[in-house]
Amino acid sequence: MKISPKFVLKVAGTLTIIALVTAALLGLVDGVTRDKIAEIEAEKTRVAMSAVTPAGSEFTDALDISDSVAAAASAQGGKVVELYGVTKDGVEAGCVMKITASGSQGTIVMMVGVDANKAITGISVVSHAETSGIGTKVVGNDLNDAGVPVLDQFVGMSGSGTLVVKKNITPITTATVTTKGITTGANAALAAAEALG
Amino acid sequence: MNFGKQLKEGLISQNPVLVQLLGMCSTLAITTSFFNGLGMGISVLVILTLSNIFISLLRKIIPNEVRIACYIVVIAGFVTCVDLILKAFVPALSNSLGVFIPLIVVNCIILGRAEAFASKNSVAASAVDGICQGIGYTLVLVIMCVFRELLGSGTFGAGLLGGGELGAAPGLRIIPEQFGIKILTMPVGGFLTLGALIAAMQWALTKANNKKKEAK
Repeated sequence: MKISPKFVLKVAGTLTIIALVTAALLGLVDGVTRDKIAEIEAEKTRVAMSAVTPAGSEFTDALDISDSVAAAASAQGGKVVELYGVTKDGVEAGCVMKITASGSQGTIVMMVGVDANKAITGISVVSHAETSGIGTKVVGNDLNDAGVPVLDQFVGMSGSGTLVVKKNITPITTATVTTKGITTGANAALAAAEALG
Repeated sequence: MNFGKQLKEGLISQNPVLVQLLGMCSTLAITTSFFNGLGMGISVLVILTLSNIFISLLRKIIPNEVRIACYIVVIAGFVTCVDLILKAFVPALSNSLGVFIPLIVVNCIILGRAEAFASKNSVAASAVDGICQGIGYTLVLVIMCVFRELLGSGTFGAGLLGGGELGAAPGLRIIPEQFGIKILTMPVGGFLTLGALIAAMQWALTKANNKKKEAK
């Protein structure tokens, strides 16, 4: 069958015009919603950061992550995704960062706060793919085998690489791998904070 | 055009989920709370109506050879609009439905109605078809949500009723928590509920048909 140029033009032209009109419509909607969505995202990040830092903390805009900070975190098995400075009453009070580390089912994204003395001020999980009913116990900060909320036991701990599950970190039975994932993230956050100087 | 007939088709005799068996994936996945079901149903209703109107408008222009590609572009455009609008103005719903909003692009109900109805009928009839099929879909979602939520978690209207923020409201407790049938809130519960609903629908339709035959 011979395809006539007219036919090609008709098919391609129609599709192009429909795509263009759709794109224009999307541009319009994006213009209306863009600022609003950015605002909501920023608010979400702020809430997550407030949860892991002492009350009354204020946050800087996102800081650049230097190579040495990234390298220090990856040496501990985690990755720094976002980094913010923390000030309290006008004084620098450490930093808060979004860290990824692998859990039992996939990547766990967590927010970790570290104070000026390089000790953890709090950990909360932003997103994860852990098994519902097992790994989610850790994510939900349930009590560990020693009867302490599993994420709260990290508060006040310092020294990158010194946090080890079943040594100074108590897991939740059946969710050890998830606890290990959080611990990896905590070590990575401490390493990154130490590299910041 | 006959609004009553189309409404009856959308709700009962040609119900998109229970009779045409379209859009099963989202039906199974999101029917865990009243808020989710209603939100998803209304989103699909809006997208289905808009895309039906546009595809019907363009039905004489779109070359037959690339019609599916054209439909998908139109549908994807509307879905993205709804996704952005929900993210900006109803973030609670956007959070709880997550990836299922963008996935409406590949929801068979919308492409199915575009191909089977909007591409052959007038704009007004297609708009009505979109609304009626959308109501039919929403109705099934809401029935499944109420059933799964009530027996699974023992509440009614989670996300909407019972105080608290939109999307985080606990719902009205009807059955004490310890008596909930947890399996119904899990994916397998979705299959069981949908199976039971389809069976009930088939039974009712067959019965109605038999009666008609006897009357003749």
